[in-house]
Amino acid sequence: MKLVIKNLKKNFEKKEVLKEINFEFEKGKIYGLLGRNGAGKTTLFNCLNEDLEIDSGEFYLVDTTSRKIEAEDIGYVLSTPNVPEFLTGREFLKFFIEINKNRIKDEKTIDEYFDFMKIEKDDRDKLLKDYSHGMKNKMQMLVNIIASPNILLLDEPLTSFDVVVAEEMKQMLRSIKKDHIIIFSTHIMELALDLCDEIVILNKGKLEEINKNNLNNEQFKNKIIEALKEE
Amino acid sequence: MIKAFITSFKLKNTYRVNSIIYSIKQLPIIRKILPNQLYKNKALKIIGNIISAIIEFCSIFIGKFLYILLMIVYMLAFYKTNQANTFLHIFTFLTFGGALLNTYMFNPTKDKYYAMIIMNMDAKKYTLSNYYYSMLKVIIGFLPFTIIFGIMMKVPLWICILMPIFVVMAKMIVSAYTLIDFKKHKIAKNENLPTKVLWVSIAILVAISYGLPIIGVTINQTIFLVIFIASAIAGLYSFFVIHRFTEYKKMYKQILTHENVYAVQNQTSTKAIKENVAKQIEFDNELTSNKKGFAYFHDLFVKRHKKILTKATKTQTVVILLIFAVVLMIVSFNKDFAVIINSILLTYLPYFVFIMYLLNRGTTVTQAMFMNCDHSMLTYRIYKTPKVILGLFKERLKTLIKVNLLPSTVIALGLPILLYITGGTDNPLNYFVLFISIIAMSIFFSVHYLVMYYLLQPYNVNTEMKSSTYKVVQVITYLVCYYMIKLKLPTISFGIATSAFCIIYSLVSLFLAYKYAPRTFKLRT
Repeated sequence: MKLVIKNLKKNFEKKEVLKEINFEFEKGKIYGLLGRNGAGKTTLFNCLNEDLEIDSGEFYLVDTTSRKIEAEDIGYVLSTPNVPEFLTGREFLKFFIEINKNRIKDEKTIDEYFDFMKIEKDDRDKLLKDYSHGMKNKMQMLVNIIASPNILLLDEPLTSFDVVVAEEMKQMLRSIKKDHIIIFSTHIMELALDLCDEIVILNKGKLEEINKNNLNNEQFKNKIIEALKEE
Repeated sequence: MIKAFITSFKLKNTYRVNSIIYSIKQLPIIRKILPNQLYKNKALKIIGNIISAIIEFCSIFIGKFLYILLMIVYMLAFYKTNQANTFLHIFTFLTFGGALLNTYMFNPTKDKYYAMIIMNMDAKKYTLSNYYYSMLKVIIGFLPFTIIFGIMMKVPLWICILMPIFVVMAKMIVSAYTLIDFKKHKIAKNENLPTKVLWVSIAILVAISYGLPIIGVTINQTIFLVIFIASAIAGLYSFFVIHRFTEYKKMYKQILTHENVYAVQNQTSTKAIKENVAKQIEFDNELTSNKKGFAYFHDLFVKRHKKILTKATKTQTVVILLIFAVVLMIVSFNKDFAVIINSILLTYLPYFVFIMYLLNRGTTVTQAMFMNCDHSMLTYRIYKTPKVILGLFKERLKTLIKVNLLPSTVIALGLPILLYITGGTDNPLNYFVLFISIIAMSIFFSVHYLVMYYLLQPYNVNTEMKSSTYKVVQVITYLVCYYMIKLKLPTISFGIATSAFCIIYSLVSLFLAYKYAPRTFKLRT
């Protein structure tokens, strides 16, 4: 399965944020999306999630045939976790499982999901408003992967985790990547190099894949920085 | 100090001008024409500056004019006491009350927050220069009106001139006292969060202001002069306390928290509002639900937001019942009053549009829905599918109508009963029309607020209100309801017309919501 983006353009008044995006993201890989501040990474995600109208171009899924992307195809994890604060973690999961009932293959119990995300037993029945930032982030990640969407957009999702949890999350993403197209935006180069299979940079409104070829990590890093610096 | 004042004034003016331009940019249609680079535009800056100057000018005079006119001059008609003395009496005691409530110094405003916290300006210089300016504005603002109204009431000119100075002295005494208190206890006072003691003091002062003249007791010029001299001495001492106080920075760090500042300044776009609404969540492990899917989700929302949803309407209902009880008691003793109430019920139904508007919890409830629920849920793609949006809409509509119907039903039943007891009517249809039209109005407002919320969803991901159309609709709703106060129409025709309108409006808007909400109900960008 592939996510194909063709000639995608997005302007904010006269400012061309996404100029002509052409790219194909494949299932089974984690793509590290790098870009400087204000490069348009979140705008790209918002366009793919249809929170923003695009000015021109198209994007679709190709499996055996091409088809439009439906709501169920996308899970979008924001850098700032947004969870309904009046529910407990358990209730939030229960609600999500119920409204996604038809799409969940191999449904597990709520506690199994909590175990999978390493959310402590004591925290499961607390109101989400009393969760820490990192725990809210875990919940957000969990409900986004429960229904196993084909595409997972992760907008700097690991920044608020402590080192131990971040490592757990990386493991988790690696374990689920075979079933998803994962696009992971980050500012942290080491994280991108460590976790991602491909590095894609968004520079001057265009997406470009940076190939590692035979470079060692240091050389590859320099190559990425040079690409990002290009004016 | 003058330099500090000029800098702070420029700062205040800059963001005021930018806010004006921002508001212009938010207007429908105009929004599309104007570019983002607007803030650079010199002509617009000039217009903004002119509007800003007008606002500053109005802030000096209009409030004071209305205050003296409505709170004092209008009230004089109720008393048989000497007009000049009563004028002085009410002014003096209201001034004490006002000094306790409105000091300028302990008001957590955005301009103070920007200047002292964000820009790190010298707190003492900033505070003193702006404090003196605000006191000067008090004198300049009051003087023309104490003179004009004072002379109209036959108060000697020299007293009219002393009156604004007295206001400033009273304010300085309170400020100095609070500063001394801060020095001792290290707890800063936020004037927008008055204590119970303060409320009681104010209630007593208001009672003295308006109550004593009823029994013929007022101060006279000599007593005013004594009070003035005492205040002036204490005021001058207070001036030195204020001027020499050195811990402004420390004090404002306590007062100017983000929550305090935004709770006051910006009722529609705040983290603080969100925090306040979040505080309304009530959690009890027993409060759970047997429902499924979005009905489950909504059921828990309702159960965890009882304070906002049901408690407020229960209080409303109790108050309405009490009012009916009192009116019923009076009409059974006083036949003249019964006749008046009877004619009111047959001609003043339009007034109840405004009352139903005031009672309706639509705005608060939709705000809570956004802040505590949709704000986070609208970031999930699945939540934005038509099935979920409309499913929840239906649940919410049922709840909102039910919540608002509680006090409305009491009114809807109370009015026909009152009509019957006060002498009845020739046309029995009136009883029915009174009942139906109140119920129709209640449902209408519930539908109106929820549909507007779904069609115009006015907030963005930062919980800022971004839709000027939504604001315009709110203002129009208010104006139309307010206009109804003045209407005097036969209950039967107005009631039937209103009920028909409410039903048609509700049906049309529900149709629109079902058709368009799946597209419009999303976070603003």
